[in-house]
Amino acid sequence: MTPRLDLLTRLPTDFGGLSAGRVERVEHELAPWEKRCHALADVLDFHKIINTEEKRRGVEALGAELIGKLSYYERWIVAFANILFEKSILTPDQLERKMDEVSTRFNSASAE
Amino acid sequence: MAKHDHDHAKGSASDYVPGFFEIMEMAVGELLVEKQLIGAHEIRRQIEVLDSRTPALGAKVVAHAWVDPAFRARLLENGRAACEELGITFYDDTGLIVLENTDKVHNLVVCTLCSCYPRPVLGLPPDWYKLKPYRARAVTEPRAVLAEFGTIIPDDVEIRVSDSTAQVRFLVLPKRPAGTDGLSEEELAALVTRDAMIGVVPVEFHGDCRSSQ
Amino acid sequence: MAHISKIVPAEGEQPGFAPGDRVRVGVRFPIGHYRVPHYIRGKTAVIERVIEPPAVNNEQEGFGRNAGSKRHYYRIAIPMTKLWPGYAGSASDRLCIEVFETWLERSPPEDG
Repeated sequence: MTPRLDLLTRLPTDFGGLSAGRVERVEHELAPWEKRCHALADVLDFHKIINTEEKRRGVEALGAELIGKLSYYERWIVAFANILFEKSILTPDQLERKMDEVSTRFNSASAE
Repeated sequence: MAKHDHDHAKGSASDYVPGFFEIMEMAVGELLVEKQLIGAHEIRRQIEVLDSRTPALGAKVVAHAWVDPAFRARLLENGRAACEELGITFYDDTGLIVLENTDKVHNLVVCTLCSCYPRPVLGLPPDWYKLKPYRARAVTEPRAVLAEFGTIIPDDVEIRVSDSTAQVRFLVLPKRPAGTDGLSEEELAALVTRDAMIGVVPVEFHGDCRSSQ
Repeated sequence: MAHISKIVPAEGEQPGFAPGDRVRVGVRFPIGHYRVPHYIRGKTAVIERVIEPPAVNNEQEGFGRNAGSKRHYYRIAIPMTKLWPGYAGSASDRLCIEVFETWLERSPPEDG
């Protein structure tokens, strides 16, 4: 298979058999927002608003560069947003306005 | 970063300013609640569910299997049903296959495509399990990967790597270490680590952990 | 009680493969979401276990199918020496993985 077709047909998350370095035994305590994000994923799956497989597909669809540059739960929340847009549950405009609103709450609170 | 509770902090008086992705997470959650697609308390409840799932649960399952041969048989036949006997509910549709380590077989679990992990019984996976080196190499050179964890498996022992790709999740039932005949079930459970139930290390007993005698 | 005969099961209701069967993973490279890693494509394997009950094809589930069209998944085993030329570990080491029925075809007996 040509490199171009391999790039197209191999998912950016399909790591089995690729070369890689040592396993570094890193772990971290989840930040509160990461835990909320994980809980959100579970709740979305319970309701089948976004099932777990759709979430995986959504992360894959971010592509190799974003997958490499975003952290685990950053990938999840961006994937959720994209899927919610695809399903016409949210629009990008709605999300942006709500994010502004949330951001303002913190800025005004901390601007003391 | 200032600590704040699990509720969406509504402009607390602290200096904490959430980053872009946290703001997105809060915004998505609030919009879904506003649209009545999820309930206002569901995320909070699910955080409680997640917090209640730790490797201690898996350790209890392992210890119980070590002391109760009939339970062990049921566990190997249907991992989810046996865990449910002990009160460990599975909040999703995953199944559980428990993989028994013996003198002839050593099991190792990985998810090469993402991060599938037996969360209802072990809690959340460590970062290394989700990163490329482990996912790429556990299936190509498991013995070298195990050696990086300090685990050497003799050549006459088969290594069986399970790559989780579908609905089933895996829990390794490690070998019970020698010299533990006198330990209570609780003391046995205290020996069982998360990494032993992933299969990267054995359970160890050095004969010096008992509080009595 | 005697086994009742003349029952016709629905298509896909009964497993097409049984433990011990030799199968081959399809040599197909579709684009889109998949759960069959590249490293096992085209490999010969032995059925270890039939996963019950039948379930949705996870490749379709990734695009929002939450019900219907259920078939079986199978836990299959592949010797490491057959996956990787020059495999450095023991010849008895094996890889086990779950695969949806439509990715598997019956394979002729061992041809070395």
